[in-house]
Amino acid sequence: MVKAYIGIDVGSVSTNIIALDEDNEVLFKLYERTNGQPLETIKKGLKKLRDELGKNIIVSGVGTTGSGRQLAGVMIGADIIKNEITAHAVATVHYVPDVRTIFEIGGQDSKIILIKDQMVVDFAMNTVCAAGTGSFLDHQAERLGIPIEEFGKLALTSKNDVRIAGRCTVFAESDMIAKQQYGFSKADIIKGLCNALVRNYINNLGRGKKLEPPYVFQGGVAANIGIKAAFEREVGHEVIVPKYYNVMGAIGAALLAKEAVKEKGKTNFRGFDSLKTNFVPSSFICTGCSNMCEVIKVEMDGTPIAMWGDRCGMWTEKVKQAM
Amino acid sequence: MKVTFPYMGTVIIYKKLLELLGHEVIVPPRPSQRTIDLGVKYSPEFACFPFKVIMGSYIEACEMGVDTIVTSGGHGPCRAGFYGEIHKRILHRMGYDVDVIIFDAINRDKDKFMENVRKIKGKNSWIKLSKAVKFTYDLLKQIDVFDKEIHRIKPYEEVPGSTYKAWQEIQKEFDLAYDKKQLKKAVERSREIINSIRLKKVDEREKIRIGIVGEIFVVMEPSINMEIERILGELGCEVERSQYLSEWVDFNLVPSFLKKTHEEEVLKKGEKYIEIIIGGHAKQTVGFIVDFKDRGFDGVIHLMPFACLPELVSQSIIPKISKEHDIPVLTLSIDEQTGKANNLTRIEAFIDLIRNKKLGKFVV
Repeated sequence: MVKAYIGIDVGSVSTNIIALDEDNEVLFKLYERTNGQPLETIKKGLKKLRDELGKNIIVSGVGTTGSGRQLAGVMIGADIIKNEITAHAVATVHYVPDVRTIFEIGGQDSKIILIKDQMVVDFAMNTVCAAGTGSFLDHQAERLGIPIEEFGKLALTSKNDVRIAGRCTVFAESDMIAKQQYGFSKADIIKGLCNALVRNYINNLGRGKKLEPPYVFQGGVAANIGIKAAFEREVGHEVIVPKYYNVMGAIGAALLAKEAVKEKGKTNFRGFDSLKTNFVPSSFICTGCSNMCEVIKVEMDGTPIAMWGDRCGMWTEKVKQAM
Repeated sequence: MKVTFPYMGTVIIYKKLLELLGHEVIVPPRPSQRTIDLGVKYSPEFACFPFKVIMGSYIEACEMGVDTIVTSGGHGPCRAGFYGEIHKRILHRMGYDVDVIIFDAINRDKDKFMENVRKIKGKNSWIKLSKAVKFTYDLLKQIDVFDKEIHRIKPYEEVPGSTYKAWQEIQKEFDLAYDKKQLKKAVERSREIINSIRLKKVDEREKIRIGIVGEIFVVMEPSINMEIERILGELGCEVERSQYLSEWVDFNLVPSFLKKTHEEEVLKKGEKYIEIIIGGHAKQTVGFIVDFKDRGFDGVIHLMPFACLPELVSQSIIPKISKEHDIPVLTLSIDEQTGKANNLTRIEAFIDLIRNKKLGKFVV
């Protein structure tokens, strides 16, 4: 039996689960599409983890991150619930200790994180815009009839430079069609697209920031070698893609959970059996005052285990006291 | 007259002044989703977010029977200068027969200003008017002291939500004060309320102070800025804003020979970055970032309405200020979007960054 620390990253597109041992070696790794069902996906993922490792490990800490971190954290009894920027940075610093710049591109968001002496010193996240994220690439790959897995490889075969507008996916798409009609090959267009995406990313997120090597590129899109090559052209330097590039957030959450447990002594993990119980999230408008807060309530087998969203803290407090 | 005003910050102030002059004051509901929906529906699409929220708030006030709206104008090259006029036209087109009294700076059109004052003054004597103004001003000064204090102690409250409750009670106390004696009592009562909040002891080195700068409406009105002061308080930060109503009044309405305001000093500090008034609060924004740093704050959050031109200018120069003065700044743009997960992630990460920088390690 070994101690294990679980990290869960509930993102918009994928839900990732990681188990680390005491020496931070990866025991288990899962990258699943969330498909709009975070609760189900987490349950399924943890069941898989249990089937594979269950008898050999003692879960000694759990951390959650990603946009669904709050709900996931409540559901499994997380020791730490952390935003994905910090989680990513912690994981990257673990694998590339002297890292200075992290490019992270996920399904629906992208971020840039600047590190100095292993500390986050600056960061930026894309605003309401899908240009420069995985979803956009997904969409274009489908339109061109190329499996997303082949996308990057094909870009590398191109010999021509095709300029595609990267400011906005709508313009990018009409530009791509125009270039197609001029007779450029798919490979050329895809390379142009990779360049456009990276250009847009750097302009948008890197604005006014000094980007220094070593550079690390992670997130689901880091699987795309075409984008990696485009990054290298843009910054004029080698870009490192870490081994566990697509689950770095989950690894960060696990590392942080380990720290958190070290500090407080024991884990809050509800145990694998709790997965069988029924979690029902719901919301209601509190009419206690004129604020009309939308209060989120999570019930486990009919008993509320967490509430949030109330400005006055009345409900949050009530649940805490009841437990 | 049934009067209302733009809903922003501690609204009892505007209410008080108008009430003291004998007007029937209708306070519109705190901006809610409905307010925003109404505002968005009846505003030009490209108008900025504050315009839309205030539009919605006016419509709600009109539904409650308001016949007069009192508001301030704007000066300088910011669209806000037109807003009173456009609000009026939209309301008229919707069939609400309301009078909109727009106060611009006195030196711009003295006659118009005095005409407006006479409208508000009604049959009251000039002495009564000046007394009412003086009283409201004193009340405003006092309440802002408590506003600041509440957000300074919020992170250390032992019982979650107790400072929030205290702040509600304090506003009620002030709401009930109509003369000097009552005001004095309200101040004493508020002091007691604050003193009764149980606070945790926190080491001075671990305290984190965050300044909030940006466009006045999104900085001052918690219902539309995700209650950023509360969020930061819950993350363990003391918070101070760049805008308080009393300071706005000091700077914009009190004649200059009577005062030496902090805001003037602040504007000087920012002059290196934005030399001239470019509208809105861009000059204040850059000045306050430097000022917060000088006063030992650990970080600044910059709020701007989505596509606000003056704040876009300040946003572009912020990285430079941030570097030269070694203070982290996070810009958030505020719009009608209700999902706040994205911004919450940024705020949390920003506070992590500051805390780690301060303590020199990753804190879990």
